[in-house]
Amino acid sequence: MTGTDFVRSRRESALATVFRFQSLFGLVAVFIAAIVFSPSRNGELLFLTSDNLFNVVRAVSEIGIIAVGMTFVILIGGIDLSVGAMLGLAAAGSAVLLVENDFGLVPAVLVVLAVGLGFGLLQGVASAVFGIQAFIVTLAGLQCARGLARIWSGGQGIAIPYGDGPGEAPVAFSLLGERTFNGLVPIPALIFVVVAALAILFLRGTAFSRHVYAIGGNEKAARLSGVPVKRVKIAVFGICGLLAALAGIIHAGQLNQGSPNDGLGYELDAIAAVVVGGTSLAGGRGSVVGTVAGALLLGVLNNILALNGVDTNVQLLIKGLVIVVAAGLQQLRPST
Amino acid sequence: MRGLAFLGVAVALGSLVACGTTSENRSGGPASNTQCKGAGGKYVIGMSQANVAEPYRQRMDDDIRTAAKAVPQFDVRFTDAQQDNSRQVSDVENFLTQQIDLLIISPNEAKPLTGVVKKAYDKGIPVIVLDRKVEGDAYTTWIGADNVEIGRQAGKYVAEQLLPDGGKIAEIRGLAGSTPAKERGDGFRESIRGRKIEIAVSQDGDWLREKGQEKADAILKSNPDVSVIYAHNDPMAEGAYLAARAAGRQDALKFIGIDGLPIPSGGLKAVEAGRLSATLIYPTAGKEAVEAAKKILVDCQQVPKTQTLKTQLITKENAAQVYAKENSGN
Repeated sequence: MTGTDFVRSRRESALATVFRFQSLFGLVAVFIAAIVFSPSRNGELLFLTSDNLFNVVRAVSEIGIIAVGMTFVILIGGIDLSVGAMLGLAAAGSAVLLVENDFGLVPAVLVVLAVGLGFGLLQGVASAVFGIQAFIVTLAGLQCARGLARIWSGGQGIAIPYGDGPGEAPVAFSLLGERTFNGLVPIPALIFVVVAALAILFLRGTAFSRHVYAIGGNEKAARLSGVPVKRVKIAVFGICGLLAALAGIIHAGQLNQGSPNDGLGYELDAIAAVVVGGTSLAGGRGSVVGTVAGALLLGVLNNILALNGVDTNVQLLIKGLVIVVAAGLQQLRPST
Repeated sequence: MRGLAFLGVAVALGSLVACGTTSENRSGGPASNTQCKGAGGKYVIGMSQANVAEPYRQRMDDDIRTAAKAVPQFDVRFTDAQQDNSRQVSDVENFLTQQIDLLIISPNEAKPLTGVVKKAYDKGIPVIVLDRKVEGDAYTTWIGADNVEIGRQAGKYVAEQLLPDGGKIAEIRGLAGSTPAKERGDGFRESIRGRKIEIAVSQDGDWLREKGQEKADAILKSNPDVSVIYAHNDPMAEGAYLAARAAGRQDALKFIGIDGLPIPSGGLKAVEAGRLSATLIYPTAGKEAVEAAKKILVDCQQVPKTQTLKTQLITKENAAQVYAKENSGN
């Protein structure tokens, strides 16, 4: 986005605003549809039970966290296909460190996060410094992360028992599978909210965020106007890897197991959330708010289809259609 | 700050709705036959499948569907977790929201599903676990087969029928890290111990036909002296057969698989057609699950905690007959 574009985008019409927050309107629409189509028992709408609503947020929290990182990458015009494999690597790594190497909770989490960050930074370097397309770099990264996950775990899923003894993970780790506030709010949902809020703040007004949008809008122009393109790109891939690793830790904690096969295909769910959230795959346009709404929209859709007992194969069709429609609506959007 | 405001609205909307309703708390406690309303009741049964992309699991669902047709009180709903533990946890949570009367689950993996199965069981919902187990004892009954025993039978067949004088064989294993792959391999080794049979090469075929073919291609080149290929399931055995046929060696080699699904593309037909020498039936437990559900909900009876189903060796002699018998209920 060049300077003049930036100014012009400040003067968006009302219509443009609607498009800008398309995914939020979409979320509200799907939410209302879910209420309308909700099955009920004893006069109570099953969709609206607090248990169910928190189930929805819990179910999208891992994908949501990954999708937040993915938003940054897509905003700079990149893509990260390695996040699902990174989730598997982080889940398997958490299990190995906690169970087999008897790491404490904090060191284990820090090591796994560092692995995710480091892996992401490496991909960033490959992409930004050596100029390899992000698609290729992260496709290779996907393979490498899966391979590393298998090697680290010995190819096996590692069950996580809790306790103080050797071969047991600290009980605190099991909190990731628990609910707080009267057993209502799932911890992973809370983490998702915190991550999303931090990302929204981070993409608001900081120099870094202007650089991200500038690179995605027009990389060459950004470089000419003094944006440290390489550094920002590397950092963005680092953030994405870090968040994927965080999701992997949560995954292991929720399921009491870390397996190198975890997170298969999650990259596609995350990309879907970003796209439904209105972020352009061409880069430079989009928001974390949109992605959060996109993830929740897909979660609510999943949920209401399931509650109505819609055939799984038909569910896949409907979800595919929703993604296409969301992307199609983007095309109608007035160009900024 | 507009984005923040929107987030605030979204959160407020969510919490508003969340506070506006109350979740129903059913009385907990271990499940006995509290759900039994006899023959006059109507029952919604949730069937949580790990992955219907596997023919074995598709057949399990089909068997349940077929058997449930004979029980007018039952309305069975199916979910497919597409091989993802997290998705299966959500599937079961959604069933709980729907207030199902009984849960049938074929878990993707034991440990990750244990928690949510216990949650269902603690709510007083009877739980029937099929094939793969969950940990602990918070379920009503487990129905499945013994993969170690099946591996043993496969080994016995190879040692006694195919290679009575010993020889070299190749093994194409299931997905690395999966329990059935380990158990089918372990049982097999137990049976051939001390029999002058050598597993010359062992490769992972990930349960897939194309992988079986790929691995057998390589095996035929690297180990031309193997005379039997033991695959951990029928699709991989069929893949190995295709590789041998491409090399013109299909008649010199023997192939043995596991599963024996009574479907047109299954192992029974492959044995009948002579592509595989033998397969061992790995029962889906679908029919037995509906029988157990009927006992629990309609007949108000107790069911055993564990029901281990028997395998059966299928050779050319009995393949057609077993196929007809398995499909007689449709």
